Amino acid sequence: MAKLKFIVFCVLMSSFRLLAQEKFTISGTLRDKASGEELIGATVVVKEIPNTGKAANEYGFYSITLPKGSYTLKGTYIGYEEMTKTVNLDKNLKIDWELESGKMLQEVVVKTTKEDDNITKTSMGTEKLDIKEIAKLPVIFGEKDVLKTIQLLPGVKSAGEGNSGFFVRGGAADQNLILLDEAPVYNASHLLGFFSTFNSDAIKDATIIKGNSPANYGGRLSSVLDVRMREGNDKVFQTSGGIGVISSRLAIEGPIQNEKSSFMISGRRTYADMFLKASPDFSDTQLYFYDLNAKANYRINENNRVYVSGYFGRDRLGFGDALGIDWGNKTGTLRWNSIINSKWFSNTSLIYSDYSYEFKVSGGDNSFVNQSKIRDWNLKQEFQYFPSPKNSWRFGFNTIHHTITPGSLINETNANENDIKEDRKALENAVYVQNTYSVSSNFSMDYGLRLSSWSILGRTTYNIYDRDVKTDSVVLGEGAFGKTYFNVEPRLAFNFILNEKSSLKAGYARNTQNLHLLSNSTSSNPTDQWIGSSYNIKPGISDQISLGYFRNFAQNNYEFSAETYYKALQNQVDYKNGADVQTAPDVESELLYGKGRAYGLELLLKKKSGKFTGWVSYTLSKTERLIDGINEGNWYSARQDRTHDLAIVGMYQLSPRWSLSGNFIYYTGDAVTFPSGKYEVAGNTAFYYTERNASRMPNYHRLDLSATYEKPRKGRYQTSWNFSLYNAYGRQNAYTISFEDDENDPSRTRAVQTSLFRWVPSVTYNFKF
Amino acid sequence: MKTNKIASILLSLTGAWGLFSCEKEITLDLNSVNAKYVIEGEITPNQKATVRVIKTVDFTEPNDFPLVKGANVSLSDGSGNTEKLVETGEGVYQSQKIVGFEGKTYSLTVMAEGNTFTAQTTMPTNVKLTGIKVQKSSFSPPGSTAENYIIYPQFIDPAAFGNSYRFIQTRNEEKYKSIIVANDNIGNGLPNSRPILSPDFEIVLGDNVTLEMHCIDKPIYDYFFSLNSVQGNGPGGGTIPTNPVTNIKGGALGYFSAHTQQKISIEVK
Repeated sequence: MAKLKFIVFCVLMSSFRLLAQEKFTISGTLRDKASGEELIGATVVVKEIPNTGKAANEYGFYSITLPKGSYTLKGTYIGYEEMTKTVNLDKNLKIDWELESGKMLQEVVVKTTKEDDNITKTSMGTEKLDIKEIAKLPVIFGEKDVLKTIQLLPGVKSAGEGNSGFFVRGGAADQNLILLDEAPVYNASHLLGFFSTFNSDAIKDATIIKGNSPANYGGRLSSVLDVRMREGNDKVFQTSGGIGVISSRLAIEGPIQNEKSSFMISGRRTYADMFLKASPDFSDTQLYFYDLNAKANYRINENNRVYVSGYFGRDRLGFGDALGIDWGNKTGTLRWNSIINSKWFSNTSLIYSDYSYEFKVSGGDNSFVNQSKIRDWNLKQEFQYFPSPKNSWRFGFNTIHHTITPGSLINETNANENDIKEDRKALENAVYVQNTYSVSSNFSMDYGLRLSSWSILGRTTYNIYDRDVKTDSVVLGEGAFGKTYFNVEPRLAFNFILNEKSSLKAGYARNTQNLHLLSNSTSSNPTDQWIGSSYNIKPGISDQISLGYFRNFAQNNYEFSAETYYKALQNQVDYKNGADVQTAPDVESELLYGKGRAYGLELLLKKKSGKFTGWVSYTLSKTERLIDGINEGNWYSARQDRTHDLAIVGMYQLSPRWSLSGNFIYYTGDAVTFPSGKYEVAGNTAFYYTERNASRMPNYHRLDLSATYEKPRKGRYQTSWNFSLYNAYGRQNAYTISFEDDENDPSRTRAVQTSLFRWVPSVTYNFKF
Repeated sequence: MKTNKIASILLSLTGAWGLFSCEKEITLDLNSVNAKYVIEGEITPNQKATVRVIKTVDFTEPNDFPLVKGANVSLSDGSGNTEKLVETGEGVYQSQKIVGFEGKTYSLTVMAEGNTFTAQTTMPTNVKLTGIKVQKSSFSPPGSTAENYIIYPQFIDPAAFGNSYRFIQTRNEEKYKSIIVANDNIGNGLPNSRPILSPDFEIVLGDNVTLEMHCIDKPIYDYFFSLNSVQGNGPGGGTIPTNPVTNIKGGALGYFSAHTQQKISIEVK
């Protein structure tokens, strides 16, 4: 017995000794040397221990815990010069890094770090866009736009010609969680989709996650697009801006107190309407948008920092006072970052988000208005814990209070109370935990769990329908809880590193969605309405499995990836045929429900450094829906089903002054419904339709070119000219195809194709001082 | 860079606006399918029922729709009267005894070439059209005449919810082709305040305008509402097209409507 006790004692002692082997933590932040901006995702690598690289979190913070000893640390970030520091680790250390941006414009191309992140990291279906990287790509009207650049990636499809709307892996446009400094942006488009709400002057970076998001994200089925605003230079004042064909931009930033607090304000306004005013036909026409981004931050002390940021944007389209529509988003984020100690990081965010539209028609004495609004208050708390270089944790909660004012058409001059629809309220909650763990040097996993709930709150009456027949109704008093839906969302990702150059990854994720965008149109409209899960509308659920192979070539100069996915969607919502979306007393009586499935293969080959950079992306995919009441209950191709989608993007640094870029896009036609026959009814020609979306639009292709000239720097002044040509060979791509009686020959009908944007040249002048 | 230089560059580029959109007729390889029957039936107060039966043709064919002759068409009025309609013209069938009454429900059966189609419709109680009001329009989209007019049908919607209306507007004998329907989802029980907007059918001083108002039942409202919304092809594509929601059972297109009918004409001055 005594012997056994001794053994136990020894085992305990040895494990105690093992634990007692002294370990210390190195932590700090990674910043840009010139502006003080945090570098999200910059990495600190320990040379002595391979695969211990620690990427900075979204606030530039990193933490590595290592046994006592001497180490060589490398701070690296794409496009920045590598920095090395040697440390003698015998106590906890705080090491901040200030990396210097690579001087791309010098004769010698600086050797920037060639990362093998895509091999070593577990994340799949994730692409990060650096705004500086994409600045030189050709874009329509010369408006740099992060939403248009992500459409050049595999698995992300544009919603149409020149459109900032996008579909990810067969998901609908409303299934993308678009965040601006953590605040959801409900309608990320301007001017009916031709521009996005993201003014690239104000943006630091954007990450898109195609369905395999970690547990800290939730609420949408298909993707997360996480856009972060810049903090503003905390060292020197800077003014930058641009004058373009469509709009002008101006941004001012600088320190409030040197290296302690800074601010950034950026605005943009289009002036298309000023040109229209020149023509007498359009003298009454209003057509513009503007937006404003502002951010400030303050370092309370070494470990605590607060940020406040906001966005405000509005579109206006109208003819005199007779017809007008305006819409826009407002968001606000108040954040508090706290480095609790070298291993613990906390972030608390209070977020406001608002989207509204107003549509007004007046004729004579009366004016009618249709307005709708969605408004959120959102509280997020997250803790991050870094116990060892192999292991890190994130956990927290998120609670959102939603208020939705459904669209109702009201006669302003002679309002009828019954026409006004009641606000709908809901509470959305989630708790989550996520762990990133390197099991061995060639196997790591990223797994997490998110528990989410959606509770309907009073005061409103909810009707229950069987098809469109009302069977019951539930009256909820002020503040009363109605139905609550609970969902468990596992998120898993595994990475098997095959060798230094290749890895195999697999993932599974379930996502749920309680806010649904109702649209009966083939394209997105500002007047599409958001509606929450209710007694009839169940939370949407998606289950996605994906498998990927990642391979790097030529010292990580080339990256190749192949990913496949299969996604099953439940509780999809659509309007019934001929739904009355404007005036129906309860829009829920106009809805149908069903499911969907999507699968595909995505290939990406990227050249990351050298004078010539760029990528080729290809997607092969299929997206289908099955909705009871549509297409006689048979599977049909979804509106976003597109079989082949190819993008080739290239950028070439011709000389220190001149850089050239181009992209070529080719995709096969989207699924559409064309008539199978025609007849006459009520004195008009009508068309007869058979299957839903059984036809295809013509194939689409286009080449865009751009050249950027950077003038030699004069003191503080930096200027550049960007010339671009959209649709360089003037292809007439079909925007819409409509069917009509031939005006010249009433005995026949014809199909008419409308094309937009052939040869759109533009020039933008950018400055910075 | 001087600002005036930039401005001149910008101005020279504005000419590009005209190039942004262009239209052309195209040839598409559209499905050819078996012809469908199209039934258009109406019965109005104190008038005989009229039913027209035609067939669809392929999109590429001329607008020459085959008339369905020799069909067996019968009508009953819900009060025990049933009669076989007489083919008074090619593909046009008419009742001989049964005429329309408010509040009655009519059932139609069409048997043609081995197919049977049925439909039911109820004639609503009439809502009196008391007049039409003309007002100068403040709505002048690009290309319109500065001085154009819009008209307001004058009637009081009954207090009970569920009234539907269809309007047919005629200007100097020319019929406005767009379908105009309304219901009391908005402004139930109130005097009508909604104008008939016809931006592509301008009314100017001196025009003779006739407005016809039909009180229709809900299935017919749904038919015309969906006929209107699903056939439209606005910029950006409009609604996903489908066949309108019909009250005819058995797989035919079209509608069978019992409705009241009132007409008022005025001269715009």
